[in-house]
Parts: sequence; C-alpha cells; structure tokens
Amino acid sequence: MTGEAKLIVQGLSHHYPDEYTGESVHALDNIDLKIYENEFVAIVGPSGCGKTTFLNIIAGLLPYREGRAMVDGVDIKGPGPDRGVVFQEHAILPWRTVSRNIGHGLELRRTPKAETQRRVQEYVDLVGLSGFEDRYPHELSGGMKQRVAVARTLCADPVIMLMDEPFAAVDAQTRITLQDELNRVVMATEKTILFITHSVEEAAFLGDRCIVFSRRPGRIKSEIKIDIPRAERQWKDMVNNSKFTDARDEILGLVRSEVTSNDDG
Amino acid sequence: MTALTDFSISIQRRFGRQRLRKFILGLIPFALLIGLWELNTAFVWFDPVEIPPIADVWEAIFWLQSDCPGFMAAVDGHNSCQLSNNILSSIGRVILATVVGVPLGIGFGILAGMNRTISAYLEPIGVFMNSVSGIAWIPLAVVWFGVGWETTLFIMLNTIFWLLFFNTMMGVRAVPKVLVQGVQTLGGSHLDAIRQVYLPGAMPSIITGGRMAMGFGWRALIAAEMIGGDSGLGFMIFVSASEFKTEEVFLGVILISIIFLATDRWILVPLEKWTIERWGLVWKPT
Ligand SMILES: Nc1ncnc2c1ncn2[C@@H]1O[C@H](COP(=O)(O)OP(=O)(O)OP(=O)(O)O)[C@@H](O)[C@H]1O
Ligand SMILES: [Mg+2]
Repeated sequence: MTGEAKLIVQGLSHHYPDEYTGESVHALDNIDLKIYENEFVAIVGPSGCGKTTFLNIIAGLLPYREGRAMVDGVDIKGPGPDRGVVFQEHAILPWRTVSRNIGHGLELRRTPKAETQRRVQEYVDLVGLSGFEDRYPHELSGGMKQRVAVARTLCADPVIMLMDEPFAAVDAQTRITLQDELNRVVMATEKTILFITHSVEEAAFLGDRCIVFSRRPGRIKSEIKIDIPRAERQWKDMVNNSKFTDARDEILGLVRSEVTSNDDG
Repeated sequence: MTALTDFSISIQRRFGRQRLRKFILGLIPFALLIGLWELNTAFVWFDPVEIPPIADVWEAIFWLQSDCPGFMAAVDGHNSCQLSNNILSSIGRVILATVVGVPLGIGFGILAGMNRTISAYLEPIGVFMNSVSGIAWIPLAVVWFGVGWETTLFIMLNTIFWLLFFNTMMGVRAVPKVLVQGVQTLGGSHLDAIRQVYLPGAMPSIITGGRMAMGFGWRALIAAEMIGGDSGLGFMIFVSASEFKTEEVFLGVILISIIFLATDRWILVPLEKWTIERWGLVWKPT
C-alpha cells in the first residue's frame, strides 16, 4: 500500500487487572500494526483473544499504558471524532430519528443546518434508507438499524472507521446484503477501515488485508493480503473467485490451528 | 341527529372504539356511587350531616365564593374568595414544589447515576429518606417552620425531591454504556452525553418517579395543610369537618381528586406520549 499510515500501533500490550484474584489478564501482547489510507483491514481470531480490547484502545474507550497508538501522528488519548466506531449492538439513540442519528456527529460539531441536511441526505441515500428519515429506531429492522449506525459513523467523516463485529447480530441473509452494501459504500467513500469479525468469510470478502490474531494473549500471528479490486467484490461472483477462496481457506487454516492449539494448552 | 349521538360520535372519533368502551366501563362505578348517593338523599339512611345531598355539595361552591367580587378578584386572591383561594394556594404550592424539586431531584439523580463517588454519598440517605413516609415529617416541620406555607412547601418538596432523585439515579444507571460511548466517539462531551444520552435514556424511570412524586407529594401536601397549614384544600377540609360542614368536606375531596387527575392526564400522560412512547421505550400491549 502506498500513501501515508493513518493508524500506527507500536508494541501495544494490555493487561486487565482482576479485582477479585489480584492477578491480571494478559489480553494483548506486543502488537505492531500500520493501516494506510483507504485500506480495509480485517482482524480475525479465536473468541477471547483480545480483538475487542484492541479496538477499544484505538477508539480511546480503554486507557492503555504499554506501547503506542497514533492516528494521523497524534497519540490516542480518549475517544474522538477522528475515530468513528460502529458497535456490535445497536448503539444508535432510540430517541433520535434516523436522520438525526445520522447527523449527530455534525450536530455535535455545530455544522450549519443546511450543510448537515445535505450530508445526511447523501448518507441516507447511500445506505438505502430513503423514506425512513423520520422513523425512530424501534420502527426499523435489525439490518436497517445497523445501516443507520454505519451511516452515522461515516457522516461524521472520521479519519478511520472502527467496526467491531457490526453484522454479528443480524440474520445470515441480511448479513450478506450488508456486506455487499458495505463494499459499495467503502468504494464510494474511500474510507480507511479496521474491521473485527469472527467470520473468516467476511474477513476474506471485505478485507484488503486480513490480520490473524493468536489466542490470548492476542498477538499478530500472520497477515494475508487479499488482492481483489473492490469493484469485483460481490457475493454472487465470489464462489468462483479463486483469489477469494484461496484467501478464505488460508485464513481458516490459521484460525483453526489457533483454536486447536488452545484445546491442547 | 340528536345532540347526544353527535357527542358520542365526536368522542368516538377522538378515542376510537376500544378506548371509548374502556372509558364507558370506567365510568360505571362512578355512576353507581352517585346513584347510591342520590338514593341516600331520598331515603336518608345516613344523616345529611354525615352524607350531604349532592345538591348541597354543589351549593357549597357558591356559598364559599359568595363574597367574591368576581373572577378577576378570585385570580387575584381577594380575601373573601374562600374556595378559589384554597384551590389556588394548594395548586401554587404544587407548582412551586415541582418547579424547584423536580429539576433538583433530576440533577442530583443524574450526578449520582453517573458518578460512583457521588452515589456512595447520596444513595444510602436516598434509600433512608424514601423509606420514611413524607407525612412523617409533618410534626417536625411544624416545630421548625411553624404553621403556614413553609411547612407545607417543605413537606411536598422533601417528598418530591427524594423520589425523583432515586428514580433518576436508577434510570441513568440502566442506560446502556454503548450509547454513551457512541456519542463520545462522535465527538460529544460529558455535557452532550448528559443532555443527549443520560437524560432521555433515564426518561422511563424519571416519568415513573414523576408519577410517584405527584401521588405521594400531593397526598403529603393535603395532610400537611390539615396539620401544619393555614390555607389550601387540606386546610379547608379540616376546618369544615371540625365545624360539621360536611358539604364542604365532600367538595374539597372531590376537587382534590379532580386536580390530581387533571395533572396526570394533561401533564404526565402527554409527556409520556411525547417521549418514551414515541421512542419505543415502553412496552405497549397491542
Ligand atoms: N473489563 C475486563 N476485565 C478483565 N478482563 C477482561 C475485560 N474485558 C475483557 N477481558 C478479558 O480479556 C480477554 C480479551 O477479551 P476481548 O473482549 O478483547 O476478546 P475478543 O477477541 O473481542 O472476544 P470475542 O471474539 O468473543 O468478542 C478475554 O479473556 C476477556 O475475558
Ligand atoms: Mg469482541
């Protein structure tokens, strides 16, 4: 990848203190990672290996002491609008309509009304929610709520978008649709994305690069490049795409070996 | 078309069939009560001093207001407008206690809900205060403030504050953390989080607290007016009863329920519709 690194992580480790035993849980170990502009990086790894911990540190929601993490050359200290997060659960506000949720970031930044309205409409259309602008979240399906969450984060125009298993809570059919849509959206917005998932297929389908974490404490076990142009990434074509199936199988093997060695240990 | 069917059609349009049915069923016990009351007037099972005729209760409105020079004088609180003065002074204290007690209770509740140290200070005393019935403070309040508006206001404020404090605190704690994190990662400050997440998120609990505060506070106020007040509907009932003017007592009791129902229907219910129902935060039977 050419271009500048948007996210730089150097020697990042994390220990959770355990209030009861006094021992600490070693969640992350010596992570080095760079994510470049307009790159889509997917992280997979066994359950409990520290993926969410990693994302929360980058998001600024979890303080860290060991190692460095920088966005655009600035050390991460607390949450900020330069790092937008799409959470797994529905984190959009039930008391705001679709358009007010999507425009929330701009509102917090005191963007002029007309400008906000224009941008919100753009993202409403982009994620296919036209006609639902004035609905409240409880009137939407799970998939639509996640579309709102994605649009809300994009509309605030972050330097990097962090996504923690954003499609894990929707049904399989909706998930495929959302993955196709995310691809289209990424192509249209040229965003830099860090995407965490349990699903090897999802990682291979979406990522330009896929990082495989070892079991806890999470280390970077390996890195696989998936060299498929965005425009060619559509589920209907993927079954016959050997680049995709090869990458998927390779990642699957790596993750499997982690899970198995977990059982041995 | 007769006036009556016109009326029932207009009600039907406003409420819908189901609601109309519910409304009518709810009226039946009242109708029975009024029927029995009328029968008592005819057969005199109870002495009129014990249960006065409806007509006398109605008349009481006029004799209590008989010296009142007119509507503007009543609004002004003219000395001789007895009934309206007592109504206004009760309502005035409800409003004053609400205007002061509700924001204070919500404010401290939000602080305690967000901050563990603050709640470590305030939660135990909150539990204590809410377990002591509001009216238990009346004798002490009379010692502190004497007989008058200070005592009644204190009693109501004390009741309202702790209920709102406690319910708001619980409501804030129940707000999913991820909602706050969402706003923080969009660039929101602590103040933004309070205004846009904690406050609306705690709304179901705050409205419950408001309902309880209205119920307990209004009752406490009437009791306080009886024992430690020199005006208000509670005071009026108490004085009238000691002079065996039962019509006035009945009138007072009926007015108290009407005012209470009105605050619920016209303030709390619309607030609930406008907020938590619209946001899908209440479970609605369908
Ligand atoms: N607040 C915490 N305090 C103590 N330990 C924690 C805390 N949060 C997570 N852990 C531990 O740290 C490890 C990593 O957790 P994390 O949530 O980052 O895993 P994950 O890779 O996201 O898992 P999953 O795939 O199941 O979401 C786990 O062993 C977990 O038990
Ligand atoms: Mg996780």
